[in-house]
Amino acid sequence: MNTIPPFDAELLRRYDMPGPRYTSYPTAPQFTSSFGEPQFREHAKRSNTDPIPRQLSLYLHIPYCFSPCFYCGCTRIITRDFGRSGPYLERLLREAEEVSRLFDRDRDVIQLHLGGGTPNFLRPSQIADLIDGLGRQFHFSRSAERDFSIEIDPRLIRDGDIAAYAALGLNRASLGVQDFDPAVQQAVNRIQSVEQTLATIEDCRRAGFRSINVDLIYGLPKQTLEGFAKTLDTILQVRPDRLAVYGYAHMPDLFKAQRQIVASDLPDPEMKLKLLGLAIEKLSGAGYCYIGMDHFALPEDDLARAQAAGGLHRNFMGYTTHADCDLIGLGMSAISHIGDSFSQNARDLPSWENALDQGKLPTWRGMTLDPDDVLRGDIIQQLMCRGEIDIPSVEDRYEIEFESYFEDSLRKLPRLVADGLAEVEPTRIAATSRGRLLLRMIAMCFDRYLTPSADPSVNRARYSRVI
Amino acid sequence: MKAPHTKRPNPIADDGDEFTFCSTCAFSAACLARGLGKPELRELHVLVEHIGPFKEGEHIFREGDEFNAIAAVRGGTVKTYVNDAEGREQVQGFFLPGEVIGLSAISQGRYPCNAVALDTVILCRFSFTSMAALATRMPGLQAQLFRLLSEDIGKAALLAGNYSADERMAAFLISLSRRYAARGFSASRFQLTMTRTDIANYLRLAAESVSRVFRRLQDEGLIRVDRRDIELLDIKRLEELARSVLRE
Repeated sequence: MNTIPPFDAELLRRYDMPGPRYTSYPTAPQFTSSFGEPQFREHAKRSNTDPIPRQLSLYLHIPYCFSPCFYCGCTRIITRDFGRSGPYLERLLREAEEVSRLFDRDRDVIQLHLGGGTPNFLRPSQIADLIDGLGRQFHFSRSAERDFSIEIDPRLIRDGDIAAYAALGLNRASLGVQDFDPAVQQAVNRIQSVEQTLATIEDCRRAGFRSINVDLIYGLPKQTLEGFAKTLDTILQVRPDRLAVYGYAHMPDLFKAQRQIVASDLPDPEMKLKLLGLAIEKLSGAGYCYIGMDHFALPEDDLARAQAAGGLHRNFMGYTTHADCDLIGLGMSAISHIGDSFSQNARDLPSWENALDQGKLPTWRGMTLDPDDVLRGDIIQQLMCRGEIDIPSVEDRYEIEFESYFEDSLRKLPRLVADGLAEVEPTRIAATSRGRLLLRMIAMCFDRYLTPSADPSVNRARYSRVI
Repeated sequence: MKAPHTKRPNPIADDGDEFTFCSTCAFSAACLARGLGKPELRELHVLVEHIGPFKEGEHIFREGDEFNAIAAVRGGTVKTYVNDAEGREQVQGFFLPGEVIGLSAISQGRYPCNAVALDTVILCRFSFTSMAALATRMPGLQAQLFRLLSEDIGKAALLAGNYSADERMAAFLISLSRRYAARGFSASRFQLTMTRTDIANYLRLAAESVSRVFRRLQDEGLIRVDRRDIELLDIKRLEELARSVLRE
């Protein structure tokens, strides 16, 4: 399933509807405030009791950005006052210390991710303090397999920064690019030159980063086929190990910054499809593999290898080679996935700060998964990572009879089968090569929480469109 | 056909009712051999009652409580433990469905340890006095009582020797496997209801060592670990490893 699936505009058009991205199942709208600090502590404590407790994955949310990109839907704080990061970091380490006490010391941190916002809003010395502090509170794995990654805004990179990150043990970088077309950059308020971007990638290579990812977005205002083709050609020249090509989701009711975007500048659905088709054609031609959802990787990258070997997983940070870690999210709005629970920190800075200043954990909402959630989550994970569900192994692991248990879900599949998106066999349900760009359409059949299609307005308000 | 809705449940003997014994019952064979069914036992005031459910972490009795009855585990797992002079917990044993707790209290009239539910526990409580009286008239039942008492003593002595961590763990897993199998459950696939710390404490190992041994046995293809679910993939090799501990 490594090659890039064929692009089928007619099919994609038909399935252009809102749907979750399944970085988690159940998805965040199911979290409730009845899940708070006591539940978080209980799940953390319980996670130590397995015969082989899971390894840990740390996510650190650095919310600050010096300038607002209009397309962004992340939780962030725009400021030019770089001094604000000091108090934030101080509290972040306090949170880390409090949370680290809940986990047994022999549980290695195998994955660490600095996300945002803009993690490199912090100076390298601040990142050093952060990683030093975390290293004292948690036990970092010394395995060569560990993934310590940082999201980078090339516009804020100064000479020597990247080498400093590498010296701290960071070994993966993800760069925001989106589009090099000046008209698009202006329309989304993100002016970023080709030179500084390529120089940053070059720096990462020189510093020995194991993998470099570049984020692109299609469907942005003022985007044209010519402009996007040029962006793709420019990026493909330096062959990043991984590429994410996200579809822009215009949801101005949900994300304030997006109200700055002039709706009439947005490409129409036809154009959006053409842009995606162009990206797929170019990546295909350049030898990239399709990982799933919006992600592509070179065949020799860890993700592509893991996918071939059946060892691919997916969590809030995207695709990963690390199986079932307990994921600890630190910082405002960060999401944790510990044992059979999901939880999210306070989403605004004052609430997050107040909780910590009162000696409390900033857990805002979450949920405890029931056995059905765990089972469906596993199935959706299989679809997202392998493009298929292996029925006998699911029946064996969960001691269910697939056909009767998923009677309702299976009833929704014939439509997808008729459209050539999925194949249903006695032992497996698989996305066809046509269906692989629409994995979440298949996953949605197994989502217990989706409201019936009779009332799509609810989904529309919560989820971005599939394309 | 498999149950349509449940994840592997902790084994529970759910087939007993007013007239039939649970399949795991420690006494049913001896009693039935003498033509004593459940209604007859009730008339003799031997069978006191089904009690519970006890919730995870709930105590069934505490050290020093007055002994009034022995109880067979009907569903769930019970852990017994004492606190040493420094207040540290010492795990004495785990009791699975069909096994009897409280036997060690018989001689003193008081419970010499604490018993706590590790998951949802349902018990079947017997009056020991009536049971003992009945046993004088029923050699089969008496033999069964003696057997239970000696098993209880033997269990505690088992791990006292100088064994390696791998040997202890193999013996622990084989013991669980045989005990589940004896009650009609799967010998090769079961859920560990006890925490890593409890296992460590019981086997006199550090918690980290418990995980290391589990990982090693898994890497060597002897077991498969999926959270709390354990599958024994090579019982023969595990038995070899456990032989010296189990004195076979």
